[in-house]
Amino acid sequence: MNKAKFLRSQAAICLSGLLLTTILSAQTDPGVQSANRGTGATIINPANDPNGFTAFFNAGSGQFQEVEAVAGNGLGPRFNSNSCSSCHLQPAVGGSGAAVNPQFRFAGSSVAPRDTTPSFITANGPTREARFPFFFNPDGSVNFNSPNGGVEDLFTVTGRSDGGACSLAQPSFQAAINVNNIIFRIPTPTFGLGLIENLDDSTLLRNQQVNLNNNFGIGGAFNRNGNDGTISRFGWKAQNKSLLLFSGEAYNVEMGISNFIFTQDRPLPGEDTFGTGLPTNCLNLTGTGYPENVTHPNGSPSSAVIDDISAFANFMRFLAPPPTGGVILNGQAVSAANISAGASLFSAIGCATCHNPTVGTTQVSNLVPALSNTAVHAFSDFEIHHMGSTLADNVSQGGAGGDQFRTAPLWGLGQRIFLLHDGRATNLLDAIEAHESNGGEATNVELNFNNLSTTQQQQILDFLRSL
Amino acid sequence: MRFTYSVVLALGLALSAAAQDAGQQAIPKSGGDFSNVTVPLVKVPEGVILVKGAWASASDSVTPVPEGASVNNEAFSAPYFGMTYQLPSGWTQKYQGPPPSETGRYVLAQLSPAATSNGTARGSILIAAQDMFFTPLPAHNASELIHYMSEHLQADYQPESPPAEARIAGRDFTVFAYWSPVAELHWYVLATEIRCHTVQFVLSSRDTKLLEALVRSIDKMTPSAEASPTGGAVGGPVPVCIANYARDENMTFRTEPVFTERRSNAIPVRIVIDKEGNVKHIHFLSAFPDQSKAITDALSQWRFKPHQRNGERVEVETGVLFGRQPAVGPAQD
Repeated sequence: MNKAKFLRSQAAICLSGLLLTTILSAQTDPGVQSANRGTGATIINPANDPNGFTAFFNAGSGQFQEVEAVAGNGLGPRFNSNSCSSCHLQPAVGGSGAAVNPQFRFAGSSVAPRDTTPSFITANGPTREARFPFFFNPDGSVNFNSPNGGVEDLFTVTGRSDGGACSLAQPSFQAAINVNNIIFRIPTPTFGLGLIENLDDSTLLRNQQVNLNNNFGIGGAFNRNGNDGTISRFGWKAQNKSLLLFSGEAYNVEMGISNFIFTQDRPLPGEDTFGTGLPTNCLNLTGTGYPENVTHPNGSPSSAVIDDISAFANFMRFLAPPPTGGVILNGQAVSAANISAGASLFSAIGCATCHNPTVGTTQVSNLVPALSNTAVHAFSDFEIHHMGSTLADNVSQGGAGGDQFRTAPLWGLGQRIFLLHDGRATNLLDAIEAHESNGGEATNVELNFNNLSTTQQQQILDFLRSL
Repeated sequence: MRFTYSVVLALGLALSAAAQDAGQQAIPKSGGDFSNVTVPLVKVPEGVILVKGAWASASDSVTPVPEGASVNNEAFSAPYFGMTYQLPSGWTQKYQGPPPSETGRYVLAQLSPAATSNGTARGSILIAAQDMFFTPLPAHNASELIHYMSEHLQADYQPESPPAEARIAGRDFTVFAYWSPVAELHWYVLATEIRCHTVQFVLSSRDTKLLEALVRSIDKMTPSAEASPTGGAVGGPVPVCIANYARDENMTFRTEPVFTERRSNAIPVRIVIDKEGNVKHIHFLSAFPDQSKAITDALSQWRFKPHQRNGERVEVETGVLFGRQPAVGPAQD
């Protein structure tokens, strides 16, 4: 080997070594943690359940997993899916979207035989609902003066064996994509929601008072219920006040099943706003009248006679918070010391100002002791914050504007696949980076994250996947 | 060959007819949820917040407002506060801050070394302001706010130097430093009072020498003499600011806004009262459009007694909180 060739080979070795070092030292999202952490269990201690609510949890779990049809259940005429658990499945029943998207198999099957699968629904992509921020004009263009923001259901009962003569067109998804008039939402996980429901407003307000003493430029506000003015707390924009309301809305909007809270079949936003409504032959497809889901008249024992939305609410209410767990990174267990350091860093750089590890303690529960006087480690302040132009979806809900979102609770994050409100990210680093943008409250915290060493950033990622 | 073609054609036509018989309703007319236009018309712009909730606005576009700060040509400028700050070399603002909060918090600038900067400095400068008329924290001025902060420092941090008064850029500042041992990040907070706002420079870095250099760069600022803690001098263009001035003893007529929608948000409003006692400028820190209109209609009817300083009539700037009142009263008189 001549000298020049030797030097070139040495340089190549050095370069590849440098590259390898860079790759190994760069921070990495440990990814979805697959170990069974026991997520999905009930918060109720059967030995301390004086009112017998364990039976309600179990009955609710069954209803939550029921696959709905038109006949007998009232599915449709428009819907996004046919079972609560089809969307709320990862890592256990009650969670967020799973790795395999059930919506991808609906079109052309017996579920939605005449429909086509929208391009944003993929086999292994996020389970989604779609919304058009603005209505279309009669000439097909976007009407910027007419905000929409309602859910545009993906599928119809057209052609189903139990769909009668109902024949509906799917909304103009491709046209909406062409003009960027479409946004998406993914399912929120429901673990631990009974604790969140049982937080008194005064607890949240005290926490807000503490949060305001921050040097990160973070403000925040609460979304409030239009009926009684109290703090609402469920949904991506904290638009829903209670679990019963959350259940009733989802049953009606996502599955098209009318119930005691939302008593009519739901047309698309435009069909409703412009008075067209649903065609007559798409109404009352069950033949039972409205609401389609009512208290089961002949059931026994008592936990089986309640209506479905009460059953869903009970299931979510009594789901335990997702347990924390160990983290595997590149096949190796992350040390407890690193996770602990990550937790401290997460707080020190300001993430915990909004993603508060412990927002407070629940009030006394009239249901089960497990919901009483319990610290809520949800990693959220349940406030809505301006998230800026990168995450803005231009959908207003209650007091939340197009760029405001509820601080997403981070408990259970270690086993989440799809991240952010629309599932655009699967990597924690991408999700973190999306927190900085024009008009966002989290930009200064993001700058602090960038000022950490690679090792420190890795510790934060490890910590987040321990949740 | 011809036979085969005919069969295929007939089969195709039959399938087509069957599909139409059993198919969906005719494609709906354009409008609402449907658009038959296949060629993109005007797209919804990406990265633009078009649908706003409660937001800041003002009755005119000429009078400077606190959030009207900007970074241009490596200089930070905040006309309302009479401040101009020359950024350190290579520093810039990548993203603008959020709108003012309903508790009167402003992010005026978020500065950091540009990604293209050749320097190795890593740190950030947050320039923020707190409207002292609307803070729910128990503080009346910059000094009290910084002392409150130091006394309620979270467990993540340790103080490095207690709050102290200092003279920076020819102004009175309260300076406080703390750090996070785990993050090895240091924070220097420099706060001064301008027009009844606490204006803060929050400097953060692992490198304390960088922080000291940043303090020196701030010391080179030349704030306007009008930007005093309580507003302008008599005869100047800046009104004096007085907390809780919209009280009965200062007014000759007041009517309350009639809101057409029931909402539950706080609506902090700053107003400027001219020398005759009329409301000449309205600044909504955070309000829905229908709320702004209702409040504007009411404020246009308000009349104040002319305010005098040293025997001369002066303009007054004050704050009024409509809507939801805070759980803890704002720090006023």
